[in-house]
Amino acid sequence: MNRKKNILIAGAGPAGLEAAYRLSMMGFSPILVEKEEMPGGHLNKWDRLFPEREAADEILERLLSRVKNDVNIKIFTSSYIEQINELNDSYNVILSTGVTIIAEAVLITTGFDLFNASRKEEYGYGIYERVITNADLESWFKGNGKIPVENPQSIGFVHCVGSRDEKAGNRHCSKVCCVTAVKQAIEIKEIFPHATVYCFYMDLRMFGRHYEDMYLEAQQKHGIRFIRGRVSEVSENKEGRLVVKAEDTLAGKPVKATMDLLVLMAGMTRPASSASLYEQLDLSMDEDGFLRQSDAILNGQSNHRKGIFVAGACTGPKTLPDTIHEADSAAMAIYEYLNRMTV
Amino acid sequence: MINFGFTLSPSSRIDLDKANKPDFSRLAEIEPDILKCMACGSCAASCSTVNFGKMNLRKVILMLTRGEEKDALPLLETCVLCGKCTMVCPRGINTRHLIISISEAYKKAQKTERK
Amino acid sequence: MKERIIIGFDSFVIPFMVGMIFILAYCIIGLVRIICRLEPSDRKRLFISLVTPKTILKNIRDIICDCLLHVKIFRRNLMLGYMHASIAFGWFMLIVIGHIEVWLYTPHRQGLLYYPVFFRYFVKETNHTLKGAFFFFLMDLFLLMVLSGIGIAMFKRIRSSIVGMRRTTRASLTDTIAMYALWAIFPLRLLAESFTAGISGGGFLTKPMYWLFHNFLSKDYHILPTWWAYSIALGIFFFMLPFSRYMHIPTEAVLIVFRNAGIKIRHPRKGYSELQIYSCSSCGICIDACPMVTHKKNIKYSSVYFMRFLRRKNRKKTREIADKCLMCGKCVAICPVGVDSCELKRKFRNADKALPARNYDLLEVSEEKKPAEKDKILYYAGCMTQLTPSIYKSMEKILGAAGADYEFLDREGGICCGRPLLLSGNEEAAAELIRKNTEAIMNSGAGTLLLSCPICYKVFRENYDLKGIRIMHHTVYIDNLIKEGKISVKNSGKNLVYHDPCELGRGSGIYDEPRNTISMIGNLKEAAENRKSSICCGGSLGSLTLSSEDRAAVTKHSLKNLTYMNPEEIITACPLCLKTFGTYSEIPVKDIATAVAGNITCKNKKDKE
Repeated sequence: MNRKKNILIAGAGPAGLEAAYRLSMMGFSPILVEKEEMPGGHLNKWDRLFPEREAADEILERLLSRVKNDVNIKIFTSSYIEQINELNDSYNVILSTGVTIIAEAVLITTGFDLFNASRKEEYGYGIYERVITNADLESWFKGNGKIPVENPQSIGFVHCVGSRDEKAGNRHCSKVCCVTAVKQAIEIKEIFPHATVYCFYMDLRMFGRHYEDMYLEAQQKHGIRFIRGRVSEVSENKEGRLVVKAEDTLAGKPVKATMDLLVLMAGMTRPASSASLYEQLDLSMDEDGFLRQSDAILNGQSNHRKGIFVAGACTGPKTLPDTIHEADSAAMAIYEYLNRMTV
Repeated sequence: MINFGFTLSPSSRIDLDKANKPDFSRLAEIEPDILKCMACGSCAASCSTVNFGKMNLRKVILMLTRGEEKDALPLLETCVLCGKCTMVCPRGINTRHLIISISEAYKKAQKTERK
Repeated sequence: MKERIIIGFDSFVIPFMVGMIFILAYCIIGLVRIICRLEPSDRKRLFISLVTPKTILKNIRDIICDCLLHVKIFRRNLMLGYMHASIAFGWFMLIVIGHIEVWLYTPHRQGLLYYPVFFRYFVKETNHTLKGAFFFFLMDLFLLMVLSGIGIAMFKRIRSSIVGMRRTTRASLTDTIAMYALWAIFPLRLLAESFTAGISGGGFLTKPMYWLFHNFLSKDYHILPTWWAYSIALGIFFFMLPFSRYMHIPTEAVLIVFRNAGIKIRHPRKGYSELQIYSCSSCGICIDACPMVTHKKNIKYSSVYFMRFLRRKNRKKTREIADKCLMCGKCVAICPVGVDSCELKRKFRNADKALPARNYDLLEVSEEKKPAEKDKILYYAGCMTQLTPSIYKSMEKILGAAGADYEFLDREGGICCGRPLLLSGNEEAAAELIRKNTEAIMNSGAGTLLLSCPICYKVFRENYDLKGIRIMHHTVYIDNLIKEGKISVKNSGKNLVYHDPCELGRGSGIYDEPRNTISMIGNLKEAAENRKSSICCGGSLGSLTLSSEDRAAVTKHSLKNLTYMNPEEIITACPLCLKTFGTYSEIPVKDIATAVAGNITCKNKKDKE
C-alpha cells in the first residue's frame, strides 16, 4: 500500500491548524511546523475576538482539539524549516531539529508580524511609559501584566500605526485594526466607565457584518469619541501625562488632548522570520513582503510555484474568518492538485 | 427660472462646475505629489506654526482640488518651510516643494487677490 | 649664447601672440568688470586685503599650494595630484626659467612676450658653458615633467580609475578642442626644440632626440613648420581658454585672493560668483562625491554640471539641479578649487523661489524680559526633535544628572529656526523669523543656548546675533560634561559607528567632540567615508525636489557606508538623520544623547539631595 501523501504546513496558526484538519479528513498526512513552543499563533495572545467578542482561547481550543487527537497529523513545535529543496514531484524539507521530511505539497501559512510600533518614534512607544500597543492591551485583558496607569481618566486609540504609511514601508491597510480598536475601546470603557475614550482614525473601515453595529454601540452606549485625524506626534508634559497632537480634519483645526493612556493600533506586516523560507522557495511577493496569489479571484491559494499553496495573512491582512475559509480552500486546492498528479 | 430674490448674499455652496481647473492641472504637473494626499491631517497637526498661524496644508490641498483657491492661498502665508510636514506625511508627499509650487502655479490668482 | 635672428622676430610667433593678447585682454577686462560689480564694502575689503601683509602671505601660500602644487588633490590621490602638479608646476617653471634666460642672455628682448617661449629658436649656443648646460638641463627636466603629466592625462581619458576617479565629466566641444590643443603643446615643443637642438643646443632630452631624428631627417625644412605648429597650438589653447574649462587656470589664483579677502557670494551669477563659476575646472571629483549619484541617471545633478549650466546661462537646467541638490556640502568640502557651489545654488534659489506672500506678524514675542543669568541653559530642541522624543528625553536625563539649571524652550512646540527658509532660498522671510527668535532668546536671560539639531545650530551660529549667549550643540555640551566630571559614563563595550551629520560636521566643523564621547561609552568605529567625506543620510531639508525613491537610495547607500566595519549600533547627532536612518537601518540607530543617557553611572550630588 502506498503511504499517505505528506503535506508540509509552515506555521501552526489558525490557518495551519484548520488546513491540517481538512487535509487529514481528505486522507492526507499533514505535517505542521511551528517556530513557537505552542501552536495557535497570534490567537494565543488575544483575549476576545470581534465582532461578537468570543473568547479567543475557546476558538483556539476547538481548532487544536481537532488536530491533537488525529493520528494522521504531526506537529513539530519550536522548530523551523532550515532547508527546502524541490524534487521531481515533491519537496525535501530539513527542519532545524534535524528531522527530514518528503512532502508532496507545501502550504504556507506563515501569517503576519505585528508592526513594531517603536519604529514610529514620534508616538513614543518604548520611550513614554504610558504608550502601549493593541497587543499589550489585549494581553492585559487576558490577565497578564499590568497597564502603566491605575485609573486612567482619558484614553486614546491611535489607528493606522504602521499601516497606510509609506514611511514605514507599508502602504496597505491592515484591515482589522479599525474594528479591533472599536472593540478594545468598548472593553476598556467597560473597565473604566468614567474615562473618556478617543479614537483617532483616518478612515473607519467597518466593512464586515456587524462591525457597523459595534461602531454604533461604541458611540451610543459608551460615548466613545471619534476624531478623524491621524496622530502626528506625542509628547509628555511635566506630570508625565501624554500630549497628543492631531488634526481634527472634520473641524478643520489642529487638536491637542492630554491622555493618561495611549494605545497604538499596530498593523500587520510581513513575517520577518519567514524571509529565508520565501527566498529558498523563490516565492513571488509584493513590495511590502506579502506573498502574491497567482489569481486573487479564482485561484487565490496558489503562488505560481508548483506544489506550493498559500493561505491566511501571509498574502495580506485578513480577518480570522477569512483566514479559516482560505485554509479550507487551500485544502481543496491541494486535494485537486495531488489527485491530478496521480492521474 | 424663477428668481426667488435671495441673490444678495453669495451662495455658500462649492460649485464644482466652476472650479479652477487649468491652474490646478498646471500645479499637478509641477508637483504631482498633490494627487497623493489622503487628508489624514498629519501635516496640519505637526505644523510648527500652529501657535500663530492658520497654515493647514491638508485644507489647502483640499480647497485647491475644489477650486476654492481664494480661501486656500492666504493659509499659506505663515508657512516657514520647516519641513516637519514632510517628515510626518504617511504618503511621502514632498510638502515643501508642493507649497512652493502652489505659490508658483497660482501666482496670477494671488495677484488679483491682493488687488 | 647668440641671437640667430637679428630682428628678433619670425612670423610663426603671430598665432601665439594673437592668442596671448586675446587672453590677456579678456582676463583684464573680466577682472575689472568683476571688481566694478562688487558691493562697495566688498571692494574695500578686497583692497585692504591686498595691502595686509598677513593676507598677502596667505595668498602666496594658497596660490603655490593650490594652483601650482595641487596639494589638495595629492591628498586625495597621488597619481591625480602628480598629474595636476606636474603640468601646472612644470609649465610654470618653464615660463619662469624662460624669462630668466632672456634676462641673462638677451636682456634687450625683455618685454617681448614671445621671446621666452620661443627662446631656443631665436638664440643659439655658441660655446658650451656650465651655466648653459644647467639651463638646458632644467628646461628639459621640466618639459619631461609636463610631458609625463600629459601622458597620465591622456590615459585618464581612457581609464579614469587609475587616478582614483570612478566617473569623470563628459567634456563639451570647446573643452575637447582646448584639451587637444593643450595635449599638443608640449610634444610639439619637444619636437621643435629637438629639431633646433643641432643649432641652438639642447639638454639630456632634446639632444638625443636631435640625433635620433637627424638620422633620417637630414634637411632642416621641418624645423620652421614645427615651430609654427607649436605656436598655433599655443594660440588655439589661449583662444579657447575663455570658452573652456581651462579658464580655471588663471581664475583660480584670483579666486583665492578674493576668498582670502573675505568676500561672500551675493548673487548667483554676477560679481564674485563669476570667479567661482570660471574657477570650476570641471574635473568631476564632485561626481563621485555626490550622494545623489547612486544611479547613473543622477550624474547630471552633480555640482560640476550645475557650474557648467550656470556658466552657459541655461536657466532651466540650472534651476533643476539647484532645486534637486541636498546641500550636504560634500562637493564643496572636497573641491580642489574650493568652489562653493552650494552657496551659489542657494543664491540661485533665492532669485527664483521666494514665497510670494508671507505674513509672520501674528508671531508675537512676549515682552517680559528676564534678568540675565550666566549659568542658565536654554534648551531648544527644534522642530525635528519634536518627532524624535528619545533625544529630548535623553537630554533631560543628562541635564538632570549634571544638575544643570535649564529651561526647555519649546516643550510645548516652538517655532522654526529659519534655516529651512534660508536653504529654500527665502532669505527675507528667514530674516524676519530670525529677528523674532532673537528677541525671544535675548529676553530669556539664559547664558547658554543648547541645541539638539545641527540645522538649528548652524543657523544660530552664523545668522543670529546673540550677544553674550553661548551657542552649543549637545555633542559639545555632553563632551564638556564628561570632561569636567559632571556626569560619568560607563563603557558598554559595544562597537559604535558615528555618522557625521552634514550640518554639524562639514557645516559647523564639529568632528572630534562626538567621537571623544563615543569612545567613552563604547568602541568607536569609523565609516568607510567619514568626517568631511561623510555621506548625507538622504533626509536633508536642502533638497526641494529629490523624489522619495531617490532619497531612499541615498539613505541605503549611506547606511552601507556606515556599516562596513559591522558596528552594533549607529550613533548620530541629528534628529533628521536619526529619523531617516531609522526607516531603513537593520541595526539600531541612536542619537548620541540617547546613547550617553543609557550609560550614565553616577548622578551629580546636587541631584541626589
